[in-house]
Amino acid sequence: MKLALAAASVLAFVLLPWVATTYVISLAFALFLTAALAQSYDWVGGHLGYMNLGHAAFFGIGAYTFGIVFARGGGLPLAWAAAVLLPAAAALLMSYPFFRLRGAYFALATFGLVALLERLAGNLVGLTRGSEGLTIPTGYRLYSAYYTLLALCAILTLATWWLSRSRLGLALVAIREDEDAVGAYGVAPFRFKCGTLVVSAAVAGLVGAVYTWQITYITPGDIFSLEKAVGPVVIAMIGGSGTVLGPLVGALLIEVIREFLRFKTQYLALTVYGIMLILVGLFIPGGLMRLRRRSH
Amino acid sequence: MEVLLQLLIGGILQGGIYALGAFGLSLIFGVLRVLNVAHGDFLILGAYATFLLYSTLGLSPFAALLLVFPAFVLIGIVVERVMIRPMRAQTAHEFLVASILITLGIALAVEDLLAFSMVQPVKGIDYSLAPFRVGGLVISTLRLLSLGLILLLSVALHFFLQSTLQGKAIRAVIEDREGAMLAGINVLAVSRNTFGLGIALTSVAGVFFISIIPVEPHMGLPLTLKYLSIIVLGGIGNLPGTLLGAVILGCSESLVGFWWGAEWSLTVAFVILIAILLLRPKGLFG
Repeated sequence: MKLALAAASVLAFVLLPWVATTYVISLAFALFLTAALAQSYDWVGGHLGYMNLGHAAFFGIGAYTFGIVFARGGGLPLAWAAAVLLPAAAALLMSYPFFRLRGAYFALATFGLVALLERLAGNLVGLTRGSEGLTIPTGYRLYSAYYTLLALCAILTLATWWLSRSRLGLALVAIREDEDAVGAYGVAPFRFKCGTLVVSAAVAGLVGAVYTWQITYITPGDIFSLEKAVGPVVIAMIGGSGTVLGPLVGALLIEVIREFLRFKTQYLALTVYGIMLILVGLFIPGGLMRLRRRSH
Repeated sequence: MEVLLQLLIGGILQGGIYALGAFGLSLIFGVLRVLNVAHGDFLILGAYATFLLYSTLGLSPFAALLLVFPAFVLIGIVVERVMIRPMRAQTAHEFLVASILITLGIALAVEDLLAFSMVQPVKGIDYSLAPFRVGGLVISTLRLLSLGLILLLSVALHFFLQSTLQGKAIRAVIEDREGAMLAGINVLAVSRNTFGLGIALTSVAGVFFISIIPVEPHMGLPLTLKYLSIIVLGGIGNLPGTLLGAVILGCSESLVGFWWGAEWSLTVAFVILIAILLLRPKGLFG
């Protein structure tokens, strides 16, 4: 039943470009982008239990790496590879200092990573063109970008489903619930933490590259904005962090609200985000997907 | 040489302002186990309150201090009662996540509403006192007076925590929450009071902040980040360590700002944070 439903929704999205307008397709593109970021965030945030507010930093490294390599004529294959490898390398490096922190401290320190990268992207004008923004050669890429992200979302969700039933996933959840006990059983938590962060960062970098590829113009203020930084976290939390479908449900809900807000008011989007955060934190800290289980 | 001295004086004052906020954050985290992500935003709110009092009633920042402190104790108590205490988290991990979500939500809403409600959100006040000279050195009376008041507040806070019953209760809850409950300490009341005190300390820092530098709404979250660096630098719950950490950050910022430009100041805090985590993860004095 579940499988049929999943297959049907994937099929519907595959066929969508034949019936829908460009506007609907770009909406779906935005939805996939949000969902892919939330899903890859949640491996670290939901399963491993380390709230990584710096997921947007890896997204941004990917976006800028792709943009810089492509704009300088480095060729597409090199640009894609660099956009995946560089964020992964950055995640590997950041693991050493940051995983010495736990809980709230980890969250805030990773949040600083986004702020730091925004300054770097704004100040290293020679590389990123600063606040003026980086442009890559344009082309009509909406359909290929749409299918790339659709495939990525499907793969990520399958991977998350596998993770939730595997021994690896069990290890991550064990670290979330009691890291010291995991260590005491002779499993080194650091290897799991580092590995998960690296994979999650590589995916975020790939999503960033698709973003640059489709949008073709990026600025530090857009890529490293507050909204992009808290987005994946908020979405995973609202849907249900640490569940397979939670990030997808959250992404759908947020994109609908965002589209609704765009018609009503251009301002106060962050206020709405903030109020939603407070309400979710107060009343459904486990997210929508856990509501049903909890009521029993 | 003279420039260096001026920079250091500026840095020490900035450090003192950071320290007040960092004390508050550290106390709140110690007692409630909540990392208040919105902490820097209460500094901004305190600064705007000072601006309002100055521009409408003509109150000097030092007079504003007397109004801002009690007002923000109340605001802190209300925020604790309405948004922190009713949290329905069930596991430790959920509690952590929920507390970050709630305080982050407060931060986003406060910053966005402040920026939305003002045509010109960058606000400063032109209050000044006649400077005086020591040898060839010009020293701003306003800055010196602020520094003196900050030191006075820190000493008062120290004695409050060491000698009064409420202060001892706060330290007991930080040390061992369950033990404090068993000893008959009303942990809920202590949590409420600590939140009020912590918020008030930050808002007072905002009074000093705006009398020296103009503020704008989006300074809040970066400020919280600086507080975090300071707490990690000085050791959690260690008041003298926090003060020293804050002064180190203030001075490095003022030196780096002079040589490379003020836009790098947040990078300084971040580099200090990483360096401390790599070299002395338990803080400078841990």
